[in-house]
Amino acid sequence: MGAYRADEDYDYLFKVVLIGDSGVGKSNLLSRFTKNEFSLESKSTIGVEFATRSIRVDDKVLKAQIWDTAGQERYRAITSAYYRGAVGALLVYDVTRHVTFENVERWLKELRDHTDANIVVMLVGNKADLRHLRAVSTEETTNFAEREKTFFMETSALESLNVESAFTEVLTQIYHVVSKKALEIGDDPAALPKGQTINVGSRDDASAVKKDGCCSA
Amino acid sequence: MYGTKSKIDLAFEYQSQVAVLRPSIHSRRANLTVKFQDLYGFTVEGNVDDVNVLNEVREKVRQQGRVWWALEASKGANWYLQTTIGQGSALTSSLKFSAMANAITLKKLIRKGIPPVLRPKIWFSLSGAAKKKSTVPDSYYDDLTKAVEGKVTPATRQIDHDLPRTFPGHPWLDTPEGHAALRRVLVAYSFRDSDVGYCQGLNYVAALLLLVMKTEEDAFWMLAVLLENVLVNDCYTNNLSGCHVEQRVFKDLLSKKCPRIATHLEALEFDVSLVTTEWFLCLFSKSLPSELFAYGMLSSMRVLRLYLTWPWQSLR
Repeated sequence: MGAYRADEDYDYLFKVVLIGDSGVGKSNLLSRFTKNEFSLESKSTIGVEFATRSIRVDDKVLKAQIWDTAGQERYRAITSAYYRGAVGALLVYDVTRHVTFENVERWLKELRDHTDANIVVMLVGNKADLRHLRAVSTEETTNFAEREKTFFMETSALESLNVESAFTEVLTQIYHVVSKKALEIGDDPAALPKGQTINVGSRDDASAVKKDGCCSA
Repeated sequence: MYGTKSKIDLAFEYQSQVAVLRPSIHSRRANLTVKFQDLYGFTVEGNVDDVNVLNEVREKVRQQGRVWWALEASKGANWYLQTTIGQGSALTSSLKFSAMANAITLKKLIRKGIPPVLRPKIWFSLSGAAKKKSTVPDSYYDDLTKAVEGKVTPATRQIDHDLPRTFPGHPWLDTPEGHAALRRVLVAYSFRDSDVGYCQGLNYVAALLLLVMKTEEDAFWMLAVLLENVLVNDCYTNNLSGCHVEQRVFKDLLSKKCPRIATHLEALEFDVSLVTTEWFLCLFSKSLPSELFAYGMLSSMRVLRLYLTWPWQSLR
């Protein structure tokens, strides 16, 4: 896993969105995952940005197209338009600012209003390196995640803690959902054409994914 | 008076630019990435082609500078301000052919670029910021900043969050002094127009305005005139509806002016708003090198068009 591959050389393309309040570290999570970079001097995101990275799961190459969005509330009208077709989401909050966790519920609603019900959602408590400033306990989020049936992980983009795992877990789960679906319709997932875009959440194929009981953390 | 002084300033400015740019001559041979500080203190990093483009712009601005000084010599100092400031009652009866000719000359001059030292003055006057400021007491900005000091609102919280994330690493903006100045401008504006309050993107615009205009107060009025008179309404208000309008207009223009590109992007199912949202909300301040931003500001932001309608409006 983790090998960087040529752009076109992939088996599945998954669209994943990064959402959450302003300043929780979405852009740094993205740059850590796609470029292994972290910047204390990062600029606030305006509108939407995106980056890609491919990972290998089983014998398949999954290419993640990750959309990073502006967090300020008034941008939601713009950013929610980009949720369409997303099959995964990382909903990020800042473990040192409780209010960013309180807003998770609204983000989740926003996400579910605009995407397919089967979207794989991972709750990400970022800035876990700031241990002395922690304002949201792991337990609090675990309970929330269980209730909301989302995955959950705490990360630090700064220390490169769990970032790889968080994205990989989301992608792997999406992959499982997709291959399970393929099996169910009697198709060998391996027989899917190379480079096929799997758009499980799109309007044309809204029923493509079976709901997966999905609380891992 | 101002003309002579500014010529000296400009000569000095260009000398320093030449010195700063010298490394690029060597690197052209060595084919290396070039890194230097631009006119507004930003570190520019690029390949030789990027530097060449920037040098071309600088050369054009330099040549234009000569035209400006020559015109100042023949038309008198600050002729460009009189051409426009007098719009309204004073000019209504006396707008003559020469004034119109001056306006046309000025339009052409601005299209080709304003010398950096004249930018604060010309932007301030031609954008309408000067006029806007003249309608309120002189102490307006100071009073406003004092009155809102220490107040905490959702806008101020977001502003505080964004200060260190606005052009981080800039030698002035990213200092306590720079943060404080930018904060005062943004917070003051957030109270002036509570519908706008603060919208991410304005931080970049205000920061660049501070660098170009040199004073907080002028930057504040420039921001005010941009949001209140120049840009499409509601660009930054609650649902950014003005920004959506901009995107639609841009898409229509793209189909009309560049149909092949538009068709190609459509075939790729690529939504141009993915890149243009930032252009319109930051007025290119985040995506263009600051010198190009300052160079193109007046013509690209329709400040020019606004100004151009004035002399004719006042004839009616």
